[in-house]
Amino acid sequence: MAEIQSINHSAICVHDLQEAEDFYCGVLGARTASATDYITQDVIRGRSLHKSIVLEDYLIALMLARDFMPMPPSDQMRGAHGFRHGFYVPRARFDELMAALADHGVAYEGPVTHPEDGPFGQSIYLQDPSGNFLEFLWRRDEDLPYDPVEGIGEG
Amino acid sequence: MTAALDQQAAAGGLAIESIGALAVAVADPSAARDFYCRILGGVASGSDVLPECRSHELIRFPAGQMLALARAGNRPDLSETGVHQAYRATAGAAEAIAGRLQSGGIQIRRYREDREAEQGDRLYFFDPDGNRVQIVIRDAAVDGEGIYGIDHAAVQVPDMLWAGHFYGTVLGLEAESRFGLRTADHALARVWAAGEDDMAPGTRRLDKLYMTMGGQNEVPRTNMQVYYTVGEGVIGVYLATAHFQEPPEDQLAGVPRMILQAPRAALDIAAARLETEGRPYLGPVPHPASAPFSASLYFKDTGGNFFEICSPGGS
Repeated sequence: MAEIQSINHSAICVHDLQEAEDFYCGVLGARTASATDYITQDVIRGRSLHKSIVLEDYLIALMLARDFMPMPPSDQMRGAHGFRHGFYVPRARFDELMAALADHGVAYEGPVTHPEDGPFGQSIYLQDPSGNFLEFLWRRDEDLPYDPVEGIGEG
Repeated sequence: MTAALDQQAAAGGLAIESIGALAVAVADPSAARDFYCRILGGVASGSDVLPECRSHELIRFPAGQMLALARAGNRPDLSETGVHQAYRATAGAAEAIAGRLQSGGIQIRRYREDREAEQGDRLYFFDPDGNRVQIVIRDAAVDGEGIYGIDHAAVQVPDMLWAGHFYGTVLGLEAESRFGLRTADHALARVWAAGEDDMAPGTRRLDKLYMTMGGQNEVPRTNMQVYYTVGEGVIGVYLATAHFQEPPEDQLAGVPRMILQAPRAALDIAAARLETEGRPYLGPVPHPASAPFSASLYFKDTGGNFFEICSPGGS
């Protein structure tokens, strides 16, 4: 049996790489870890155009979609649409995140309060600029020990 | 002026006012001068006037900008790259230029470019040395049958992120537009690949993927380009699609060169920034009263393209 530890990273498609980087880094506070196809050598090798960003301890590769993707309506904030990324935010910083989104004019739904006997406290739901679903939540069990995952591909 | 410059420098800008001149590589400066004056107009303004510009012929345009046609024996073929020079002309002057090109048997190209500001500007030709020239139609203070001045120039670099830091942070220029980063750009590249969009060299490319995807091994893409605002014009920065030879590392002044005009104090600020970045530079070099500039700072961008920031003054 494979000894899989956890999810390591995600690659998601976007329609505008600059816009996506501005959102993930400028609004959500991620940092750019690497970029591909911005140099001549990558062009010669036929590499795909993408940037890897790290949001806290999670690496997301923002891939430029070669074709337009059917995305959900812009006013739909909740859904799966193939997948949804949910990020944990300490409860103490949850209001701060909502304020940052509001400051940047990013629409979101919530906060939605989850059942008191479950691990999740509240969530907000939104789309990135390309329409990928995101969720941010605080956990009622946030005081339990947490084992962070090391990112890869930062070179 | 100094207080205003300090304020702008604090915000990142260097108060670069315009592209003051271009130095273009040609095989025979006298023949090139005759060609440019005949086709574009301008006033022949002497030989070997600009410092650090080899043997050259100088042409002045009504806007005050200058073109130096400098001798270069081993000029590389850049006809398939994004490297080009663009000049402003009124609609009437552009028509007259097109007429002179046709009369001279010089092929007119009707390429399209990605910049919104250039959608109506589809008049291109190559000079006898293979330099691509574009005419953009703009209103001008002076009408006539020739160009008014320099509108923009474009260079190629091997690393767009490094170049972005250099042009954005070191030179403090604002990115006006970017291309090649959107799905919509790639959709346009497919139109070009189908032969339905005559795009300018350097704006599109066919990538051979390092792995076969769906049996398709060539993918059309919009090549990455960023345009930085300089006064009323722009500097175009294109990602090179093939390796190219840069000048020797220790050569800081040469041709071809883009000559940017700024107040004298900006030269010191730029020199300090280059020092901080660990990038070599020459100057600021004071010029004799016979020169058209009072002082110049020479350096290269991250792609080895020669640049000069000059302060006005002199003759």
